[in-house]
This record gives sequence, structure tokens and C-alpha cells, in this order.
Amino acid sequence: MAENKNPIEWRVIGETVPGASHLRAAIPNQDNILFVRESSRSLPIILCVADGHGSPKCFRSDRGSRYVVKKSAYLLSEFLDERRGRFDTAEIESQKDYLSAELVRRWREAVEADLKKEPFTEKEFENLEKKSDAKARKLVEDNPLLAYGTTSLTVALEEDFVVYWQLGDGDMLNISETGEVTKPLSEDPRLLANETTSMCLPKAEKDFRFLVRKILAAAESPQMILLSTDGYLNSFSSEAGFFQAGTDILNMLAAENGFNDVSDNLKAWLEEATRMGSGDDCTVGIIYRPQLVGKSEKTEQSETEKAPPAEMPPAPNATPANAAPTDSQSVTPENEKDVTVTITIKKDKNKISESSFAALAETDSASSNLKNFSD
Amino acid sequence: MIKRPGGELASRPLHFIWIADSSGSMEQDGKIQSLNTAIREAVPHMKKVAEDNPNAQVLVRAVKFSNGAQWHISQPTPVADFGWTDLSAEGETDMGKALELVAEQLKMPPMSDRALPPVLVLVSDGQPTDDFDAGLKALMDQPWGKKAVRIAISIGKDVDTEVLQKFIGNSELKPLAANSPEALVRHIKWASTAVLKSASSPAAGAEVPAGTDTANVPIPTVAPAPDAGAATATTGGTQNAGTSNTAAPPTGTPAGSAGDPNDQNTVDDVW
Repeated sequence: MAENKNPIEWRVIGETVPGASHLRAAIPNQDNILFVRESSRSLPIILCVADGHGSPKCFRSDRGSRYVVKKSAYLLSEFLDERRGRFDTAEIESQKDYLSAELVRRWREAVEADLKKEPFTEKEFENLEKKSDAKARKLVEDNPLLAYGTTSLTVALEEDFVVYWQLGDGDMLNISETGEVTKPLSEDPRLLANETTSMCLPKAEKDFRFLVRKILAAAESPQMILLSTDGYLNSFSSEAGFFQAGTDILNMLAAENGFNDVSDNLKAWLEEATRMGSGDDCTVGIIYRPQLVGKSEKTEQSETEKAPPAEMPPAPNATPANAAPTDSQSVTPENEKDVTVTITIKKDKNKISESSFAALAETDSASSNLKNFSD
Repeated sequence: MIKRPGGELASRPLHFIWIADSSGSMEQDGKIQSLNTAIREAVPHMKKVAEDNPNAQVLVRAVKFSNGAQWHISQPTPVADFGWTDLSAEGETDMGKALELVAEQLKMPPMSDRALPPVLVLVSDGQPTDDFDAGLKALMDQPWGKKAVRIAISIGKDVDTEVLQKFIGNSELKPLAANSPEALVRHIKWASTAVLKSASSPAAGAEVPAGTDTANVPIPTVAPAPDAGAATATTGGTQNAGTSNTAAPPTGTPAGSAGDPNDQNTVDDVW
């Protein structure tokens, strides 16, 4: 990163809501979303979204998606941290197989730990057989990972590049300053008729799509990156309508009080989308850089303060989650009520272990270094 | 609340296509009239099923085949507006041509990748008189053809069940035999309600890991009960359609019948 570049203040908003058809069928929200950023600087930002499969066989997919967003965020954070100051995008690109295999390994480890702590119950199998059949039970017994099946979508934004990393369905969009919408990753023709590649499959690491895009100048940087689970795209009558959502959100964010407007309304928009559209869980995560004009420090501060209260219960469904970036001085726990701000990961000499990282997120969101929007 | 971002919202389309034999042999013993009656009677039940899931938009149409094949009802019609127009019977059994017509409509576009898996119900009393394999290949060359839920109903005993089995594409699942008007009504009703319900359910809209031995649409295993018009009989659990995602009800396992599936028709066999 050239030193004479003006720092760009990136901000993050996210939300997840249970699907309308899931609510009717008493199925929990199986999506998860999480983002992390470090305390010492505003970048990198790592945003993860995951869609636990709704198949009856994937009856613990809400856990599977929760594990994968944590493992992915931690892994990429650790990976980028090791390269601080000497980023080489070609080298990062060359590590995609390692990253994918490592994520799969860590996710399986988390699933196995969960299974050890809480083995499948007869009631879970009875429910499965009720919704499916005996064959389904055998499939899960043969491959317990199936119960935790999930997709994984991760974006890591650095000053000089963006990493896009995806397994399974769901969408990533880049939206330029002029509102042009593009998909950074190539399509995967296998993702049709609700079939998806998945963390639970035997060769999951082979199915990731991965791209490192260099940002040579600020003008090349996307103005906004949007990640969503497929329930959102499938709620629009056409892909163009989905793209338009990206452009519209960017325009709203650029308007006076835009951050608050989008933060305050995103949940309701997603609820309307699932109700009128796909019926599936809907999750959207947004990274964007505010327009350089028209934004005062005062506005930034008030937006940060508007974040939901700290004592947010760890509800799996529809937890509000908006987060404004803060600078390195203000991020760490001076305002403990501001839990939805991604508080931060402190690294380097005192690098925390993976287990403590996850544990913090699960047990004490108010003071943790990690914010899981839906956790 | 400020205006919602994005374009028009819409439930996911679920295309339901009847592929009906209208060859000359269907004229014998009132088979064509029985088919017309069975489908007409099934329509209100389809509407009810569709109402139960507002997140799926059920669109119905029909292909007929005899000398060649034509769209009998060409427009994908919302089930709420759907009404059956009677078929008449004459000519050959150009089943392959019918599959080609369907294949053409399962291309993307006009299909979109946000659709739910289509349901194709093939009903026939005979043997193809054209190149069935070419038609089937055209269908299976389309991603949505491969992913479709494929149901086959045989009418009478002159049917080439091997052909229908190839259409289904899953050896675990057999064509459903109808050897009487009553059985035909039951099977048609079952396909258009129990299967439709399954295809439009949240489970059908739910992601499944690709390549596992799972189907994207769980198919009810309980076939129509002879005494109940039990098209809605889904209580006996479901059966996955297998890796090909194609499915038909098992031939033979009507509720209350433990033996050969076709035994159910021995009492009231007409055809």
C-alpha cells in the first residue's frame, strides 16, 4: 500500500432474517453472517455469509453455517495478518488451495467437536425420518457432516486488493461508483434446482471459487460490495431486479443520513423480500465506502451510536446488525454498548488462539473481538 | 420506511407440465375421456395445494402427442386460472416429439435459474411410434430436464413400461399403473397434489448438497389409496428421487397393498 494514498473509510452493514416459508414450517434461520476488522487500522475487513442447507438431512445446518463464518473469518484474518506489509496478490492467489483445504479442515474439526459434545439424538432422527425416510437417516449416519451442510461466502478487503472466496450458492456483487454492477466470480453451472456444492461434501475444498482482484487506484475500487445468500436473489423476479437492489442501496447510502436509513430498514426489506419472494432465509452483508463529500465526523459518530444495544441475546434468527467502522482509537471497548460495531481483532504479539477467538464470540458479544450478526 | 431497493419481487415459478397421450388407442374403452375427467377433477386440488405455499407460483400447461406433438395448453398458466380443455384421440404415439417440445421450453431462457424443479407427468397407454430416445436425449440435455421431477402413469396393459422407466430415469421408482378409470383418477390426483405439494414445499426450495444421494424434491412414497382418492396422502413419509432428481411414485405401494404394485388393479381392471 502506497503511503501517500488517502485512507478510505469503509463501513459495513449486515442483516439476516428467517425465511417466510421457514417461519410457516417452524424451521429456524439457517443463515449466518459475520464480519471482522482489526483495531489497528480500518482494513482489512472480512465479511462472511453462509447459508445452511434447508434439506431435512441438514438438520444442524444453522450450526454449520455459524461455524463456517467464524472459521473463514479467522483463517483469512490470520492469513492476511501474516502478510502485512508485503502483500503479493499472485502469492495470495497461489494459496487458494491451501486456504480452501484449511477452511474445510477447521470446519470439520468444529463439527466433530460439536458432535462429540452433542451427539445426534433419536429425536433428531425421528424428525428426519418423518420429513424424509430411513434412507436419509443412513445417509446422515454415514456422513454426519451432512447434517451441518452449508455454503460459505467470504470477502476480504484490503487497501490494495479484494479477495472473493465462495463455496456453493449465494451472490457477490461489486457496485462501482457509477452504479455499475458486476459479479466478480464466475458462475458455477452445478448450482441449479436448489442443488449446491457444500462444506459437507467429501471434496469440498475442490469446489471453492476464489479470486484476488488488485486495486491499483482508488477509482478501481468498488464503491460497494454486496454478499447475499440465495434467498435474496431468488426473491426477485429477475437478476436485473437483484442488481438494481445493489444500485439502489448504494444510492441510498450516498444520500444524507443514508447509513441510518439503510441500517434501519434493511431488516424490513429482507422480510418483505422473503415474504413476497422466495420464502427462504435472506441475508445481506454490505461493505461500502461513503462518498468523500457530505460526511462529517459528527454524522459518523451519531451513526455509530445508533447501533443496537449490547445485551443482544444470542438469537439465531433475525438479529439486527449494523456496524459502522470506527477508527483504531475508538473501536476497542470504550463503548461497550456499541456491540454491533465489529469490535476488533488484536493481533501480532498477543495473537489470540483460534479457540479463544471463537469462544469470545460465543460467550460475550459485548466485549468480544468478533461480531457475529446473527449469533 | 423508505422505498424498498431492487426490482419486482416474485415467488419462485414451479412449472407443472402434463404430457398426455392422445393417440388413437386412447379412444378405446373411454380412456381419453377418463383422462380428461381425471385431470379436470384434479385441478381444484392443485389450486388448493398451490394456495398453501405462497412462495411458489405454480404454472400449468400441457403437451399432447399423437401424430407429432403439439402444445395443448401452451401458456404457462397460473394454477388459479387454469382450466382443462378436453383432449380427443386419434393417430400415432409420437412420444419422442412431445419430449422434444418440452425440452425446448426447459431451456434457459425461457426458464430461469431461480425456478423450482419442474414437474413433468407423462401419461400414455401405448408404445412410442417415433424416436423416443432422441426426444428423451433432448430433454435430458437440458439442465432443467435432468433436474425435473418426472412422473409416469401407464394406462392399460399395452404400455411399453420400459420406455416410461427410461423417462423416469431412476430404477428405484416405477411407472404408476392405471388399469381402470378409478385408478387413473387416483394417480392423476396424486401426481397433481402430493407430488406438487412436495415440489413446492419449503423442503423443495431448500438447498441440498450436490452429488449426494439425495433429491431436491422429496417424493411421497404413499401412492394413492384405492379407496380414498388419496391424492393428498403424504402421511407415509417421503422418498427421495435419487441423484438424478427424477422421481415417480413407486409402482407399487398403494396404501393397503402389500403385494405387487399392479395387484391393486386386479379387482377393477377395465383396461
